[in-house]
Amino acid sequence: MLEILQPGLETSIQDYPGRIGYWNQGFPPSGPMDSWSFRLANILVGNDPGAAGLECQFMGPTIKFRRDGVIAVCGADMSPKLDGQAVPLWESVTVKSGQTLALSFGKIGARAYLAVAGGIDTPPWLGSRSTFHKAGVGGMEGRAVKAGQVVPVAKGAGKPGRKVKAGCRPQFATDKRWSIEAVPGPNDDWIDEAGHKRFLESDWKLSSKSDRTGFRLEGPQWTFAEKAHTKAPEHGAEPSNIIDQGYPLGAINLAGQTPIILVNDGPSMGGFINPYTVPSAAFWKLGQSRPGDIYRFKAISVDEAQELSRKLNAMCGESSIA
Amino acid sequence: MIYREPKFLPGGDRYVLIEFGNEMNLELNFMAQGLATAIEQNRTKGVIETAPCFASMLVHYDPDAIGYADLKKEMMSLVGALGPSEDIELDSRLFYFPTVYLDPWTRECVRDYCEKIVKKEPDPEFIARLNGLKDAQQFVRVHSGTEYWVASLGFWPGLPFMMALDPRCVLTAPKYNPPRTWTPQGTVGMGGASTAIYPVATPGGYQIFARIPVPIWDTAQRFPQFENSICLFRPGDRVKFVPCSVEEFERVEAQVKEGTYVYNVVEYQRFSVRNYKKWTASLDKAERF
Repeated sequence: MLEILQPGLETSIQDYPGRIGYWNQGFPPSGPMDSWSFRLANILVGNDPGAAGLECQFMGPTIKFRRDGVIAVCGADMSPKLDGQAVPLWESVTVKSGQTLALSFGKIGARAYLAVAGGIDTPPWLGSRSTFHKAGVGGMEGRAVKAGQVVPVAKGAGKPGRKVKAGCRPQFATDKRWSIEAVPGPNDDWIDEAGHKRFLESDWKLSSKSDRTGFRLEGPQWTFAEKAHTKAPEHGAEPSNIIDQGYPLGAINLAGQTPIILVNDGPSMGGFINPYTVPSAAFWKLGQSRPGDIYRFKAISVDEAQELSRKLNAMCGESSIA
Repeated sequence: MIYREPKFLPGGDRYVLIEFGNEMNLELNFMAQGLATAIEQNRTKGVIETAPCFASMLVHYDPDAIGYADLKKEMMSLVGALGPSEDIELDSRLFYFPTVYLDPWTRECVRDYCEKIVKKEPDPEFIARLNGLKDAQQFVRVHSGTEYWVASLGFWPGLPFMMALDPRCVLTAPKYNPPRTWTPQGTVGMGGASTAIYPVATPGGYQIFARIPVPIWDTAQRFPQFENSICLFRPGDRVKFVPCSVEEFERVEAQVKEGTYVYNVVEYQRFSVRNYKKWTASLDKAERF
């Protein structure tokens, strides 16, 4: 059991892959933004890689343990301290009942993940424990955790001293610049050649108006192909308007002139075009970037995106642990 | 138009959008919903879930279980086996909603948008002008003069994407640029030729002009209509907006709060595509109410 002393900026219960199977009713998957770090944390403490843990955003929580156990902190470096002693990241450690874990501001990266042996044991909602804040479902009472709440943890037996091997964990940008893969489509033919060139050759700044539903980007104006101007009126008159359609998770959704990357709590459908889609293997970079960071997009094919995903998933296993 | 062959448009490593055409009509919606049902019945290997909409369907698949080329082949064979939509007859519930058109709440929301984001013409007047209607009053008559077809759910849990069934009431409008950061719960809006109801206060891109007091999603499942799902609608339902006063809205709102509200829903009708097409063919589509 975890007693929340201070909640941090936005600390929520998430599991992986989250609430899957309800996209046709409009429910997003939720789940950890950086599922690579999240899964490694679970594997370190002997859990199923998808077991529920805590996602700590920008500034982490202070937590008192009410039972002996094993934990691991992965992802952003929030200088975790156990009763004042520094806790190593990417490694499983023992905690005693009554000890306090304090995370502070993230120095590198944006989201830290705390896994507890046994996994968090809140009641699942539509098959998942993930918190979907905006709709108030999942997690603890549907929201980020609050001071005074006691988070239940299932019984588990983890081992301390297990470490993630070098080269098996994500490396976060330290210069605020990220290279993000993007697969053209589904609506890439709505953008003209100059528009594609501009997208791939420009810096895109992550706006502070970003959250778990969407990452807004600031950059140059878009230009459109002929079909965006000559379409039937039921699409809507603006060039970025299309007859409402299903949105892939990771879609770079062009709302008017503002590109918004649709992330874990994002909408399932809507009437704006998606010229590119960020593949699943690049999501950890989104999860670890902060407002003001700069993205450069790199076009890759579907095959390449699937290959990257396979490589990443292969690293989310026991073979990455020493 | 309806394409001779559906288009397969990739969405990253795990999604493909199957587009059947580039307009809005019932036939395209039946193709999208029909393919989703066929995939479910067929239990196509590697397909995790689908999201059918007006003229397209999104597939979420597991690339380790099925490759892009094989998925396309599987989908083409299921599309080929779909029967003609002419023959479709299905049970269709009809929901009546008390609706305040030109209401104070969406006016306030648009005013706030103009003040904080960008100035724009008030939405009802804007839609009226774009569609060659006399004024906002005629817009209300036209918009409330038809039943709406629930083509799909999405964007937000339980939000219905709907199309006007009476061709004399089809209106179109552009979406907001940039989108709003908030919209009142229960707002009725339209974008393109689609009408939607916002289940909760969310951001949004549709033009907005009316509001209903009746919940369309309910995590507490307080009303019998939510017994099997926290979302009120399913595809194939119909909706009729009944214009009402602010006083009537507030009366219903109070009943909803108390838990005494009774949903006004008709459940005995079947929708026949053949009859519907026969009827629309007999209409003068240039007529307006």
